[in-house]
Amino acid sequence: MALERRVVVTGLGAVTSIGTTVSEFWNNLLAGVCGIRPLSLFDASTYRTQTAGEVSEIPDGFLSPAEKRRMSRADRMGLVAAEEALSQSGLDIGAEDPTRIGVILGGGTSGLLDSEQVYATWLRGGRGRASRVLNHLPDAITDRVAQRFGLEGLKSTITTACSSAANAMGYAYDAVAAGLADVMVTGGSDVLARLTYGGFNSLRSVDPDPCRPFDRERRGLSIGEAAGILVFEEEERARRRGAPILAEFLGYGVTSDAFHMTAPDPSGTAGARTVRAALDAAGRNPGDVDYVNAHGTATAQNDSAETAALKAALGDRAREIPVSSIKSMIGHCLCASGAIEAVATVQTVREGRVPPTIHYENPDPACDLDYVPNESREVPVRVALSNSFAFGGNSSVVVIGRYS
Amino acid sequence: MSRPWITGAGAVSALGRTSEEFYRRLLAGESAIRPFTAEERGPLQATHVARYDSFTPSPEIPAMKARRFDRGSQFAILACSQAIAEAGFPVAQDPEAIGIALGTGSAGAGALTEFLRVLLTESPEAAPPFHFPNTVANAPASQVSIELKLYGPNVTITQKDPSGLNALLFASLALSSGRAAAMLAGAVDEWNPVYARGFDRVGALRGEKRESGIVQGEGGFAVLLEEGGRAEARGARPLARLAGIGTAGVPGEPYRFAPDPAAIERAIRGALSEAGAAPSDVHLWFPSRNGVVDMDRAEKAVVARMFGTLPREICVKAAIGEMAAAGGGQIVAACRALADPDGPFPSGVRPRRALVNSFGAGGNFFAAVFESAA
Repeated sequence: MALERRVVVTGLGAVTSIGTTVSEFWNNLLAGVCGIRPLSLFDASTYRTQTAGEVSEIPDGFLSPAEKRRMSRADRMGLVAAEEALSQSGLDIGAEDPTRIGVILGGGTSGLLDSEQVYATWLRGGRGRASRVLNHLPDAITDRVAQRFGLEGLKSTITTACSSAANAMGYAYDAVAAGLADVMVTGGSDVLARLTYGGFNSLRSVDPDPCRPFDRERRGLSIGEAAGILVFEEEERARRRGAPILAEFLGYGVTSDAFHMTAPDPSGTAGARTVRAALDAAGRNPGDVDYVNAHGTATAQNDSAETAALKAALGDRAREIPVSSIKSMIGHCLCASGAIEAVATVQTVREGRVPPTIHYENPDPACDLDYVPNESREVPVRVALSNSFAFGGNSSVVVIGRYS
Repeated sequence: MSRPWITGAGAVSALGRTSEEFYRRLLAGESAIRPFTAEERGPLQATHVARYDSFTPSPEIPAMKARRFDRGSQFAILACSQAIAEAGFPVAQDPEAIGIALGTGSAGAGALTEFLRVLLTESPEAAPPFHFPNTVANAPASQVSIELKLYGPNVTITQKDPSGLNALLFASLALSSGRAAAMLAGAVDEWNPVYARGFDRVGALRGEKRESGIVQGEGGFAVLLEEGGRAEARGARPLARLAGIGTAGVPGEPYRFAPDPAAIERAIRGALSEAGAAPSDVHLWFPSRNGVVDMDRAEKAVVARMFGTLPREICVKAAIGEMAAAGGGQIVAACRALADPDGPFPSGVRPRRALVNSFGAGGNFFAAVFESAA
């Protein structure tokens, strides 16, 4: 293996519908607070559903009015989370070699909310404001983070739909482990937009009420928005500088289902391949795993396929450990979901507390694991998995462990 | 760990449907850049484009099946199939060992703009669900993995014009980490009129009102990158080897060009250093040059200063336009040139090493060095 260096997490940042700092988000996760509410960001009255995990206020007071005007909502959320994560890490970037610090994020909707409006104007024959399309592509957030913090290392943006942020963390891990960088700011920021809201509705995949992962009566997902940022750092230097080491990023698995653009392999065979690839890469066994932060979208297909995948890959261990979906509280944050769920998973490993799956009432014979229904639980967690499955069959599982 | 081998290449572009044809027509000095038709141009100040006008997915993809794929996915499926065929990689024997990493700036644009057009002008309920899955930028790479049954890593990278080289870096890490034994790496783009209008409005395109700017193109390019030891063991023959990749970032506005000589030099030095090569060891140069005047000038000045005399060059973007996929075209052309027994130029001399530069807005700089396997 050329990936010889260990990678630890030294900072976290979160902006979600149930909290715009990590501690607020985490406390509300443990308390089972639901952030899925009536959508206000655009007029949803003509859509099939009207609820979403919307962030009500972005605490971006540190940005000037001119900066805010140039930025998309996703930029601002990403910068708030990055500010929190870098601040926790205690990195003094001015005293570091900026060429050894990079940014790799997952992104998708980016400035779409603005460019949708410009496009609507064009379709009506108008001109629209050019500045509103500048942030259309997802790489804008990555460049903004590097710009704000003066980072000069490798930059990349991964767009693999709902596994974007998980793959971004994987690439960031590779870069640090292989020595291409010493520190990586990673994760993702993704916001509500008409395209994705209308898209999942057109597929009849959205529950009009807050979603119910793994429940027999589940009727689809809830869409959310979030920014989750993690600071990855080479372990020895983190230790040397006395950084807060929150957890270790042990590795990841990334595979193709090669099955279907939108449907998971119902047998769980494809998902099990990803889980096995992740454990292999991390050098861990099913018996080491104490918790799974599930993809758990609450679509009929995902939850049963994911359950089958966990049973196939972890064997008996799957029935012994808690498996929960925080999408029941914040919705599916699409290209940022892997990041915000990794933030929750790091917290789980640190504190030995597992967030619940809320809205869970009716057991489903096809979903027969311990989903931590409705109440958080104290469980010592040595190693946790966080699953992300996406359109295109782009599946990724990250492995996060207690640092020792 | 030996250097990754490039064992196959594929190209689907306005300069031809195979990597050989693309390379030959590139060397012959052909360019696909042409004036817009009045209908295409609409309100743009831009005057030129490089579209693959004569493209049809058949015969390789039957017409009935081709309808399921958007244009970018069609490009990608053909280019990747060619790369695997040339490499002779036994996908069915070991599907978990092979993955894909593609760069793009525009994949999904056709489906996205069509879905939104109906949503915005009619109603959300009228928007065609058929298009939604293809609005994701990873549609081409994912359709490739589904069509060719690749079970290995699968990512799509969007980071401005160097996305293709960025994907190559991800692919090389997938090999060195043991995540895969072979990775398709490349880039794909489809020209889209709504995106063109956006790029035109923000000042990115060369035209009547702007002398500095890019001409947009489209196409799909891929190489098969293989772990050297395993490729050798299965009896594969390399076109070339990937010797080094260098990157540099400059903090700045995401859409502004940062013609920063220090960053350009850092990216090139990074690639040379990993390759264990001096500037004098590079005999062939694929410049990033794309018509953004101050970037082009900075690149030329840095290369001239580092190399003394400029290496012989092949400018891919002058032939197929600029886009993330052009980086894929540079990679394919570099590998074909290094494998060409007659060498790329009339002198007949075979270059030992080729440098590929790929720079984009927002302070994104990549360089790669490929070496001859001969």
